[in-house]
This record gives sequence, C-alpha cells and structure tokens, in this order.
Amino acid sequence: MDNEVYTFALKNALNEIRNVCPDITNTFMFRQDGEIIVGDENTSQKTMVHVVNAFDGIFEKADAIGGVECITIEGSNGKVNVSWLNDLYFVTVTSRKADMKYVNTVTRVLIPTVLRLLEKICPTPLKSKSPLTKTKHQPKIPMDEELEKPELMEEPVEETVMEEPKETLAAETKHEPLLPEPPVNQFIVENLGGLLVPSDTVRIDTEILSQWEELYEGRKIEEVEIGTFYGKTMRCKVKTIKDSKYEEKGIIQIPEKIQLALEIKKGELVRAKPIVE
Amino acid sequence: MVKKKRGFQEVAAAAEPVTVEENISLNNLRANLDEIKTYDGVIGYILRNSTSATIDLKDPTKLIDYAIISSSALDASEELSKLFDLGAVKDIIVEGKGVKVLSLIIGENKISIFLEKDADCEKILKKLH
Repeated sequence: MDNEVYTFALKNALNEIRNVCPDITNTFMFRQDGEIIVGDENTSQKTMVHVVNAFDGIFEKADAIGGVECITIEGSNGKVNVSWLNDLYFVTVTSRKADMKYVNTVTRVLIPTVLRLLEKICPTPLKSKSPLTKTKHQPKIPMDEELEKPELMEEPVEETVMEEPKETLAAETKHEPLLPEPPVNQFIVENLGGLLVPSDTVRIDTEILSQWEELYEGRKIEEVEIGTFYGKTMRCKVKTIKDSKYEEKGIIQIPEKIQLALEIKKGELVRAKPIVE
Repeated sequence: MVKKKRGFQEVAAAAEPVTVEENISLNNLRANLDEIKTYDGVIGYILRNSTSATIDLKDPTKLIDYAIISSSALDASEELSKLFDLGAVKDIIVEGKGVKVLSLIIGENKISIFLEKDADCEKILKKLH
C-alpha cells in the first residue's frame, strides 16, 4: 500500500511539473542502483530502462569523480538533465526553447518537497527491499504484482526479529535457516534462436546468476520464474548468455516458444526471479 | 626549416588533401587543448578519434576511470539524442562532487576535459567552438 501511495504521489507530481512547464517532455526518477522509481505518464518503462542503461558506464566509474551529482546533455533540439535530489536521480528532458531557470526552479523546489513529505508519510519505499535490489544498474520498475503482494516484499527479516523473542528466533534458525526473499529483476526480452537451442531455457547475464547464487550461498540456480506485466508467469530453465553483445544490458534471451506462451515479444519488459528449492 | 615543412605539406596535400586538412584541424585542436590545460581548474583532457588518442592528465592513476567516464558519456549522449530526438549534441557535462567532465565532439574528434568542480566550462567551450 505504501508503495502504491508513494508511486501515485510521485507520478502525479511529475505530471504536474509537465503541466506547469510544457517544455519538459519527459521526467522520471531512479535510484543510484539503477532501480526505476516512477516516471510521468508520457515516459514509457522501456524508455526509462534505456536511459538508465545508457548511463551505466558513468555510474560504474562515478567514484573517480566523487559520485555523480549532475549530468547534462545539450543537443540542438533539446536537453537531458539528470540531477541528484534527496538520494534519487531525477531526469528531465526539455525542448530547445525551455526556460531552464524556470524549469530548475520548479523541479528543484517541488520534487524535494514532495519527496520529503513522502518520506515523512511513508518512509519504507525509500529503502531497498532486498540485498539484490542494490545490484548496480539492473533497472527495476515497481510492478503491479509486487504492489499486490506487499507482505512478500515489504516485511524485511529485521521486522520479524523485532517482533519475536531472540531465543525463539535463534532456535528456529538452527533448524531451518531462512532463505532470502527471491530477488526480482527486470529484463528486456531478446530473441533466442538456433538449431541447437533448447526451447525451455532462457538466458540471462552471468553477473545476475552469480549474484543470485551468492545470495543463496552458492546454490546453483537452474530455474527462474518469468512474469509479464499482464500477469502471465512461467517457470523455465536458465543459463547464462553466450553472446557477449547481449551481456550487461539487462537483457533476457527467450526462445520463441516461451515468448508465445507468455504472449511477449522482443523489446518488452519482463521480470524474473530465481527458483530455489 | 620553414620551407621544408611547407614543401612536405604541399606534397601531402596534392596526394591526400583531406588528410592534411584533418591533420591541420587536429593539430589546431591539440594546440587549443594544450592552452586550455593551462586554465584554472583544468585537470587534463582526453582527445581521441578513429586513428589516435591523446591523453594528458595531471593524475595518470585515474586514466582508466576517466577514459571510461569519457567514452560512456559520449556514447550515452548519442543514444539519448536518438531516443529523445535531441539533434546534434553540443556538449555533455558530468558533474561529480569533486570533478566535472566536459565532453564534446568536434568533427571526428571526441574530447573530454576534466575540471575541478568550480572551473569555468563556458570559457573552454568558447575556445573550442
């Protein structure tokens, strides 16, 4: 629920900014780890993922310049600005004729105010939900399914610890060590074809698989659950991407058969989480 | 000495006029960058094109990181220009807490200038355009 309120409030704020400054064509926000928070109604999820991925290299080496505070790309027809506001990156795309003083005045006053207000009202969404959400630059977008199941994502283990006596927890952990909540990552669908390609296996980045395996103390991840934005899910085998041109781009290679079953196609977004049994 | 140089340029000009023009503009660019490097707050620069690269940084230990930031910024600008129809990219500024990077493309040449946070970008842009 908190997530829903948070996203709704921010989305409205972004839409209002566009109403006040019509020269702003797109706005959205993302965390330092690449997780997308929210965008205005004019900005598609695919576009947001594309932008975050484009800045990947800069953010990876940001330490060399003391962390990124602002990025400005000035073109002959418009401008992209990324500003660090209240622990989030705020992206604005403006047309050539935009009055940047006015745009900056509005965005740098309104957005921090809304964020501060939301932090006071519902602070939870500002914090990462699981260790893997901190993975560098795996664009994550709040999804309907996640919002519908707040009990899965929004109850960190620490809360359970606080509610129960320490002795009970220690006794429980001796017998049944708690497995972390499966991390959910977002991917862009890419085709996977060829004569020797198994039709029940998808391919994702080695880095993601390694992170998942690390999270589950070295257990081999052999299967994933893929979910679409329209609620379709499917369990399939997973292997690492072989083609280097698709590596570290937030891509999942899916055979045609699975794409048909999930009613998705190349370029669409899906979520995937590891299955650990 | 001057005569010899002229002679060489003329011969080359007859054979490959475009290359000579490119060399002259590249040499001018290098000269401008060398001058810019003397400006207050300028840490160094990276100049590269399809055939060569010139790197001049006060702190060479940061060379790899700076080179990645430079090429990432230029690549990102090309991608976002296509995505949002920004047209020809004039410049890209990446501001960190301590350092800022001004990147731009002049002809075939991709340039990144590394500056201290408070250094003046406008003066550099005027010099380069």
